[in-house]
Amino acid sequence: MRNAADVPVTRRVPRPAQDVVARLVNRSFRYWSLLPAVLIFAALTLYPLLNLMRMSVSTIDFAQGATLWTFTPLRNLEALRADDVLRPAVVNTVVFVVVSVAIEMVLGVALAIGVAGLARAKRWVRTVAILPILVPPVAIGSMWKLMYNYDFGIFNQALVAVGAMPVNWLGSTNIALASVIAVDVWHWVPFVFLILFAAVEGIPPDLLEAAHVDGASRGQTLRLVVLPLLRPAIVVAFLFRTILAFKVFDEVFLLTAGGPGTSTELVNLHLYKVFFEQNRLGYGAMLSLAVIAAIVAFLLVSRRAALAVRT
Amino acid sequence: MIPNLGFTRMLLAVIALAAAAPSLAQKTFLDVGKQADITVLVGSTPWYPAFEKAVGLYEQQTGNHIKLDVTPFGNILEKARNAVRSGQSPYGLMTLDTQWTIEFYEGGFLSPLTDIDAAFVMPKEVLAYGDSGYWNAQKRWRTADGGKLMAYTVLGNVQLLYFRGDLLKQAGIAPPATWNDVLAACTKLAKPPATYGFVARGEKGNGIRYDWQSVMLAEGAQVVKNPEAGDYTVTINSPQAKAALDLYIELLKRCGPPNFGSLGQGDVIQLLATGKAPLGDVVTAAFASFEDPNKSAVVGKLETAPLPSGAGGARGAVIGNWNAVVPKNAPDAQKKAALAFSRWFLTYDAQRAFAEAGGIPNRSDVYTSDLAKNPKYRWMPAYLETQQFARQELGYAEGAQVEQILGLRLNQALIGEMSSGKALNSAAAEIEALFRKNGRRTGVLAPLPE
Repeated sequence: MRNAADVPVTRRVPRPAQDVVARLVNRSFRYWSLLPAVLIFAALTLYPLLNLMRMSVSTIDFAQGATLWTFTPLRNLEALRADDVLRPAVVNTVVFVVVSVAIEMVLGVALAIGVAGLARAKRWVRTVAILPILVPPVAIGSMWKLMYNYDFGIFNQALVAVGAMPVNWLGSTNIALASVIAVDVWHWVPFVFLILFAAVEGIPPDLLEAAHVDGASRGQTLRLVVLPLLRPAIVVAFLFRTILAFKVFDEVFLLTAGGPGTSTELVNLHLYKVFFEQNRLGYGAMLSLAVIAAIVAFLLVSRRAALAVRT
Repeated sequence: MIPNLGFTRMLLAVIALAAAAPSLAQKTFLDVGKQADITVLVGSTPWYPAFEKAVGLYEQQTGNHIKLDVTPFGNILEKARNAVRSGQSPYGLMTLDTQWTIEFYEGGFLSPLTDIDAAFVMPKEVLAYGDSGYWNAQKRWRTADGGKLMAYTVLGNVQLLYFRGDLLKQAGIAPPATWNDVLAACTKLAKPPATYGFVARGEKGNGIRYDWQSVMLAEGAQVVKNPEAGDYTVTINSPQAKAALDLYIELLKRCGPPNFGSLGQGDVIQLLATGKAPLGDVVTAAFASFEDPNKSAVVGKLETAPLPSGAGGARGAVIGNWNAVVPKNAPDAQKKAALAFSRWFLTYDAQRAFAEAGGIPNRSDVYTSDLAKNPKYRWMPAYLETQQFARQELGYAEGAQVEQILGLRLNQALIGEMSSGKALNSAAAEIEALFRKNGRRTGVLAPLPE
């Protein structure tokens, strides 16, 4: 039997250059491994964004089956300045976002706390409450348009049945935006509810019990214990809803198409008309960048505000 | 001498004749030969069911296959744009709203039909529809005069005046011949909220622009002076245009439902179909739905007439047709197949079958056939008469933008956000700025009093 000591040892001669490369490869692997993701990100996000920027400083025409790009940055900026519809669209969008999100937050919080406090049928109520977010926006627009119909809609039929005057829900400049906001609230309150309901359910019962033992009333418990604990979830729901409210399109398009006049014209709707109906690609891109800039500015301000609230 | 045929031979002859009977009955349909399969882009419009039936008949008779990509109105344009701007079009044939065709003609995205087959000739019986199928690249205008044949009309919509003959008779009112007659009649017939006197579209955008322009043309007004000759002087703020707008506003305010400012095509059709309106201005394609007992409470009661004339006796109607076009980037075999279908579709028999299925045929000989005497097709004489004065509007590259400008300003005047004079002045200034920016020879009339 051979001893282990008898086995000839073959030693590798160290090759410094190879080791350095190997070390480098090992060390930088974490970065290389990200490359596919970076490439996909670049292809799907950066390239379209860069292309949008290029479009925004160009006039794009089509001739002989080909695309013709002309560098005209001032022309698109001038179009942005002179756009008469954009001004009411911006005002309406701000009103739409502020009012709809405010109502949705209040109702969402109330609903979450209310449902969480139910002793029975909680799961059933939760399931029913979230149904509106499962309905496609196109179906919602069509459904509410029928309900708002002046002559045949259920709302006016009900009003007439109780002896009241029918309401011009979508045809009056004073009411149309409120009617659209009501649909958005109906659609998205369940979303806020869903986020906050999970947060309410996550509050440790001991805390609520301790507050009760300390003699806090229900109102005090809500104000001093529950709401502060819900704050992170409220911020998340608020940010999501605000961004989505800025981007609202389908419902308004189907309900009013921005009318009557400019009473429900929103920025996204206007953007659609510029891009797809008027086929003004350059100006549409300029308008898109303005919308993106507005949303980014809002996010930055919100972040600061959220930090300030937290501290 | 009659050959002496045995019983078996006689029987065989009878069977052979019986078997051949269906093909003999169909012998007038055009044989286009075996063609490649194609996909046709078509909108889910009120006339789609009739088109689907016509395509089914084509497949049955020829053995060729056509796949229909049925698309909601709002998405057709984008699908068509994507198709022609890509490497190879997925469609052999596309149906486009007349307003969109200019973009495709001018962009060079389509194959002229005679480039696919130099022998292709449009049958002389096919109605002209304002030459919307021809494109004169030099003039940048749709005209047969020096223009290439780029398309043909699949469905030629024009507006008609729909009226309840029974109710007018009861009230002792003759069918209105002028727009002022319409105003007088609707004032008499209106008993809101049970019934309204007159309905037409007031909604912002294409709705009010399209419907109002018929009144505008009847009052002798126009948007642009002479675009065919390159004179883009804006004339929309003329006194005639103001008179037309004031009349239209009066009609809808006095006789329409309270939501006249947001009244769309669906609403107008619904109000007529439910019997809530005895008078209305709607496209021909809506007629079929008024005769459908599942959709209408007024089956057999609505009559049609050409749109009324203006104060000076002029008549106006705007053509809103759908054109079939062949993308330039479609494979050759599909282009040929598309043209083969087109040849078939443009024959008298196919157009008659299309009409019987609820479509609006594009051949004059169908309108002068026995079909027009059938009460089911009682809209045909009014339609044919309208062809004499109906015209294409906004037939220039800026048409879509002009429509949006007009669609907003007219609606604002209708709902009282601004006076009719101010609305037309604003529209004129904006349209003139648009033409000027695009290098057109343009100008504008002196502003109207606001």
